[in-house]
Amino acid sequence: MFDKILIANRGEIALRIQRACKELGIATVAVHSTADADAMHVRLADESVCIGPPPASESYLNIPRLLAACEITGADAIHPGYGFLSENARFAEILEEHQITFIGPTSEHIRIMGDKIEAKETAKRLGIPVVPGSDGAVTTEEQAAKIAKEMGYPVLIKAAAGGGGRGMKVARSADELATALGTARSEAKAAFGDDSVYIEKYLQKPRHIEIQVFGDGKGNAIHLGERDCSLQRRHQKVFEESPSPALNAEARKKIGETVAAAMRKLKYRGAGTVEFLYEDGQFYFIEMNTRLQVEHPVTEMITGLDLVIEQIRIASGAPLTLKQEDVTFSGHAIECRINAENPKTFRPSPGKITYWHPPGGLGVRVDSGAYQGYRIPPYYDSLIGKLIVHGKNRNECLMRLKRCLSEFVIDGIETTIPLHAELVRHPDIANGLYDIHWLEKYLAGQG
Amino acid sequence: MPGAEAPGASASVCPSRLTVGGGDFAGRAGQRSDQHRPLTGALDARGQHSRGTDRPMGKDNKEPTAGEQALIRELAQLLVETGLTEIEIEKAGLKVRVARNIMMSAAVPAAPMGYAPAAAAPAAAPVTPLPTTPDDAANHPGAVKSPMVGTAYRAAEPGAAPFIEVGTRVSQGQTLLIIEAMKTMNHIPAPKAGTITQILFENGQPVEFGEPLVIIE
Repeated sequence: MFDKILIANRGEIALRIQRACKELGIATVAVHSTADADAMHVRLADESVCIGPPPASESYLNIPRLLAACEITGADAIHPGYGFLSENARFAEILEEHQITFIGPTSEHIRIMGDKIEAKETAKRLGIPVVPGSDGAVTTEEQAAKIAKEMGYPVLIKAAAGGGGRGMKVARSADELATALGTARSEAKAAFGDDSVYIEKYLQKPRHIEIQVFGDGKGNAIHLGERDCSLQRRHQKVFEESPSPALNAEARKKIGETVAAAMRKLKYRGAGTVEFLYEDGQFYFIEMNTRLQVEHPVTEMITGLDLVIEQIRIASGAPLTLKQEDVTFSGHAIECRINAENPKTFRPSPGKITYWHPPGGLGVRVDSGAYQGYRIPPYYDSLIGKLIVHGKNRNECLMRLKRCLSEFVIDGIETTIPLHAELVRHPDIANGLYDIHWLEKYLAGQG
Repeated sequence: MPGAEAPGASASVCPSRLTVGGGDFAGRAGQRSDQHRPLTGALDARGQHSRGTDRPMGKDNKEPTAGEQALIRELAQLLVETGLTEIEIEKAGLKVRVARNIMMSAAVPAAPMGYAPAAAAPAAAPVTPLPTTPDDAANHPGAVKSPMVGTAYRAAEPGAAPFIEVGTRVSQGQTLLIIEAMKTMNHIPAPKAGTITQILFENGQPVEFGEPLVIIE
């Protein structure tokens, strides 16, 4: 087991990792930018190292500084959290070369799943159902037009180097194709440095359903059920729940097994999430995230497994804690992402939290690094906390969530709590009748 | 163990220092550094050092017990008999120092005859002006702060003369120190000309980004 883990992240996930390390008796090093010197996880960590000024490129993304911090503290492993360098194959490779354990998959698997074209081909090879589309990159307009005509419009042009909802353009008809293709290419080049694109069938009203997996790197893998993350704004998840209102036990078992079997074949190591679009009873692979996800607490609440502790154990060479037949799902869980944003305009709202009172009670969990008096820096994303509730069933969960949202006080900044309070009262949400376009339609209607 | 926290300890940028001894380049090749940054230890959620949880309830630095008073009288008597100026003993979690006629020194609280509350005594009472507290140093207009994370060395190699001493006049761009990270040596230049008034690091000390290293006035 590791003696000392360096937490290469910030905010709520850094605190999450700090907590897991503490429970395992592992010493922690919190690296931080000058803007995060007062972060909660920095206070609680055993050691802290300031690694740079606020810009992420000079701090949280700065590989030489992270390595230097490992060197001067003697950390023997790094947990990259999510975002930042968590899916950077080169970073994982560099750590491998320096005999510092990267808590996550191999650099090879990060690389495979990071290239969306290769990921899709790998998924197909492993027996995971995929969205119909071009076999690989689309290089000419003629090729694109031919594929689109065969599949039928509308089609989606996606950047191979994209992911997380970025770098995608819709073409609803043959007329729109040329423009969409050109724009997708130039945007991809600008954002990811690579203008390779591929085409997929555009699904009209799918749900976003993802499967949590864990592998030990030696050919054993399990699935931990699904999360329904259909409620998204600009491809950013806002509200997640498990189980999905759209799946029954049989459908869950089938897709879970398919994904777990694929991970066994791949000899995948660590935590991963395979993301699907689900429409008319069919699953379509979109991408795999080779890291811990923001919404992992939802799975923790229904399975009782601490996923960060599991990541650390696997990275240290231990076997999976559970066999598939030991995995049980109990009750229902919902997570609301709390952002420091105006709940209507979504304008970011950094600043000082003057009053902080999170909800409590049975089945209530708040994952947040914020506290009364904390000043939210303007340099990073706006997620300041997650409210996760668990109930015996979906109805109890919704009632609990309603109650929690009314108790939660965050003064001094604007947050999206009021938005969540509206959503939880909406009949479509109450009935689980939503797809990936629902939230944007709702927000447009509110205008 | 009863004891006061070192005054002014702050965990934010500059922790209290340990002397880690002369840096040795050769011995560190290929090895993770064992010259770790000094720990201030975790803070609690309030940002303060939490009370030691192993401290028994109610046992603060209060009045000496009868037994302790007897010990102190005995020590005081010993001072007189032997002509010593200072006696310090430590046993079973209690540290007592009894002294007379000691020189007032800014770094050490004056210890009158009698019970001196045990304090974390610094390694040596400096005769030269005290280093400024870490926060003062960081805000000093002449502070040269570390631009990187690594290990700071006073000289180009072990045994060589340090680049600067207190009082050295430097020109802009002159090397003040080296910070080593990942086996590369980085010369840290003076941002302006002036005189070195304070050197805030020990040879071989791990440093973080923004840590004040030297003050030039």
